[in-house]
Amino acid sequence: MRADRRFNLAGLGVFAALLLLWELYSRAGGVESYLPPPSAALKALTEPNVARALFGHLAGTLGRFLGGYLLAAALAVAAGVVLGYSRFAYSVSEVIIELLRPMPSVAIIPVAILCLGIGDAMMIAVTIYAAAWPILLNTIDGVRNLDRTLVDTGRTFGLGRVKILWQVALPAAAPYIATGLRVSLPIALILVTTSEMVAGVNGLGFFILDEERSLRPANMYAGIVVVALLGYALNRLFVAVEARALAWKRGLQAKGEA
Amino acid sequence: MPLLEVDALCKSYDGSAGAATLAIENISFNVERGEFVALVGPSGCGKTTLLMCIAGLAAPSGGRVAVKSQLVDRPPPDLVLVFQEYNRSLFAWRSVLGNVLFGLEAKGRGGKAADERARRLIGLVGLEGFERHYPWQLSGGMQQRVAIARALAYEPEVLLMDEPFGSVDAMTRLELEDALLAIWKELGTTILLVTHDIEEAIYLSDRVHVLARRPSRVVETVAIPLPRPRHQVTTRAEPSFMELRNRIYRRIADAG
Amino acid sequence: MRPSKISGFVALLAVVAAWELVARAGLVNPLLFPAMSKILASFLALLASGEIPAQIARSMERAAAGYFLAATVCIPLGVAMGLSERVYRALEVVVETLRPVPPPVVIPVAMLFLGIGDGMKIFVIFFSCAWPILLNTIDGVRNIDGLLVDTARTFGLARGRTILKVVLPAAAPQIMTGLRISLSITLILVVISEMIGSTDGIGYFILNAQRRLKVDQMYAGMIALALLGYILNQAFLFVSKRLLRGR
Ligand SMILES: Nc1ncnc2c1ncn2[C@@H]1O[C@H](COP(=O)(O)OP(=O)(O)O)[C@@H](O)[C@H]1O
Ligand SMILES: [Mg+2]
Repeated sequence: MRADRRFNLAGLGVFAALLLLWELYSRAGGVESYLPPPSAALKALTEPNVARALFGHLAGTLGRFLGGYLLAAALAVAAGVVLGYSRFAYSVSEVIIELLRPMPSVAIIPVAILCLGIGDAMMIAVTIYAAAWPILLNTIDGVRNLDRTLVDTGRTFGLGRVKILWQVALPAAAPYIATGLRVSLPIALILVTTSEMVAGVNGLGFFILDEERSLRPANMYAGIVVVALLGYALNRLFVAVEARALAWKRGLQAKGEA
Repeated sequence: MPLLEVDALCKSYDGSAGAATLAIENISFNVERGEFVALVGPSGCGKTTLLMCIAGLAAPSGGRVAVKSQLVDRPPPDLVLVFQEYNRSLFAWRSVLGNVLFGLEAKGRGGKAADERARRLIGLVGLEGFERHYPWQLSGGMQQRVAIARALAYEPEVLLMDEPFGSVDAMTRLELEDALLAIWKELGTTILLVTHDIEEAIYLSDRVHVLARRPSRVVETVAIPLPRPRHQVTTRAEPSFMELRNRIYRRIADAG
Repeated sequence: MRPSKISGFVALLAVVAAWELVARAGLVNPLLFPAMSKILASFLALLASGEIPAQIARSMERAAAGYFLAATVCIPLGVAMGLSERVYRALEVVVETLRPVPPPVVIPVAMLFLGIGDGMKIFVIFFSCAWPILLNTIDGVRNIDGLLVDTARTFGLARGRTILKVVLPAAAPQIMTGLRISLSITLILVVISEMIGSTDGIGYFILNAQRRLKVDQMYAGMIALALLGYILNQAFLFVSKRLLRGR
């Protein structure tokens, strides 16, 4: 969506009005079992023991996210460069990729539980699996679209295959890789929170589901606020890093993607 | 022993419908060490294809290419090609300086000396002050000059240039021609340059090979006995210059 | 068939054969990796008995309800937000606040309100599908050449008809992009919501098979899911090609 840095009074007004309506509605009574007022959720956030617990869960979620996402990026970019560059490697794996790709990645969770038990390894593994797909496919695309002349330029200056891969193919595919990384960021977060819900003992996903089951809806909403903030912060961080890393591309872009 | 030998070279491309395009049909010529040779010919006569084969970037369908008596079956070291599609051959993610440094880095040369050399060549092609710019920030002619500077910085023994001044304006073109001659003299590089500008071919080279289309072959080799150093005004004004120009022009028109 | 496809199928056969051999030789824990033949037999049996078709039908009901609900709400909303800067700015903060919420954590909220029935799953799918459809519609509408709309107006087309005849068709390719992204999200969320709070559906079936250590059935369910994803994607491509014909 277009980034508009102007102060949006109308938007904030609508947002505040909705919150106020919610507040009034739940104060009117009879719904506290599922719809506590937003103020109660805010109060929960500021309670020391809830805040401390949330902090711990946040750290767990963030750690698993980073582990899964970064490993997925490293593995998928490496594999994608090879598959995009080597026609043989691509033709051998094409059918297998096409078969695995349409399966919703969360379906891997039960397999991961079987193989890795319940714990961080399992959650990171499923996150890697799911986040790797967009990165892999985009990297393959980027390397396959590599301009022949660029490769020939590397060759005429005496670069071997490996160096061309590293110094020419990889940077040339960087915009594609960035697209893959952008798509897989929310996917990684979905997989982390889902696996925490299905088989976790901590983490924000676990916390939110656990508070719901323990009938503490205010804490549940507090958890959702934190996870939303996490998602927002990660996205902003990504956009900032991408803008720096692909600064050379700024003027090439036909349209701004904020 | 010539530095570069092209012997009965032919090259055909596989067409999409099974029909092969014969891009080159039997071309032979030699280039001696330190020589400046120009190739002129109508577009589509296979000049780019020829350079790609010499540079080891395309495999010939017949005949052979040798550099320093070594059969070319991969890109030979110490030989660099400046591509006709200069804009596609620049690294978009590298600045002007980064692009020019690329060749030096490929040679394993870095540090201050490489930096200075790159900057000097950037100045020589008239791009001083643009070191930190990225290719997309430059005009076509400026991009072409970056590609030339990058190849020159590499200091190859053999330099192949595919219509290297195609996109620069007339004034800059004259300056670049003289800059190229100066570097050629300084480094003793062997240069094979493709152009469709007959006067440019005469002005720069020791010999001009005239190529014809269908079948593409060398129809004539014209020695250029004009004295060096050459001068944009006086050399071009010499009667023998005009004579050479007319002769080559007629040869190309006849071969059509 | 392209020769490269053939080597791909050879590779696939090699993987399947290797799996079969390794499993039969007892080199891996049969609890984790039953022989491929056993998995396929189980898949066919579950298919024949109607178990898998029934579970998929349950999942598809929810998926379709949530998906089409999201399309019905978000396309008109996106057109409104794309055409009117006022509407856009009024809703911007709400949208930007809700959008970064990872959809799975909405499941507990929905369970509070709606229990673990279909309503909960439909809502969760709706919530997660809404964003790609909404944002792509807004973008698609905004990128329409203003001249197109003006032309329509000079021909005396009323606002409502302009939207139907000009705006929607012009924005259609990008709306389709949003719908396509949402399609794969739908499948993910139906599986997740069935894993977390359900007693049927293909997501529940797979997780439950794992818990009961019917591992061959778990893999069979995954095969069914992959097939479903493939078929849905192909169907979508088919339909969108029809809809966007002549573009
Ligand atoms: N990659 C290719 N595939 C098929 N045909 C080609 C290819 N490159 C060049 N050709 C054909 O070969 C002929 C010579 O092309 P080229 O070497 O580019 O000529 P020039 O550089 O003299 O203009 C042309 O007819 C052209 O269409
Ligand atoms: Mg050419």
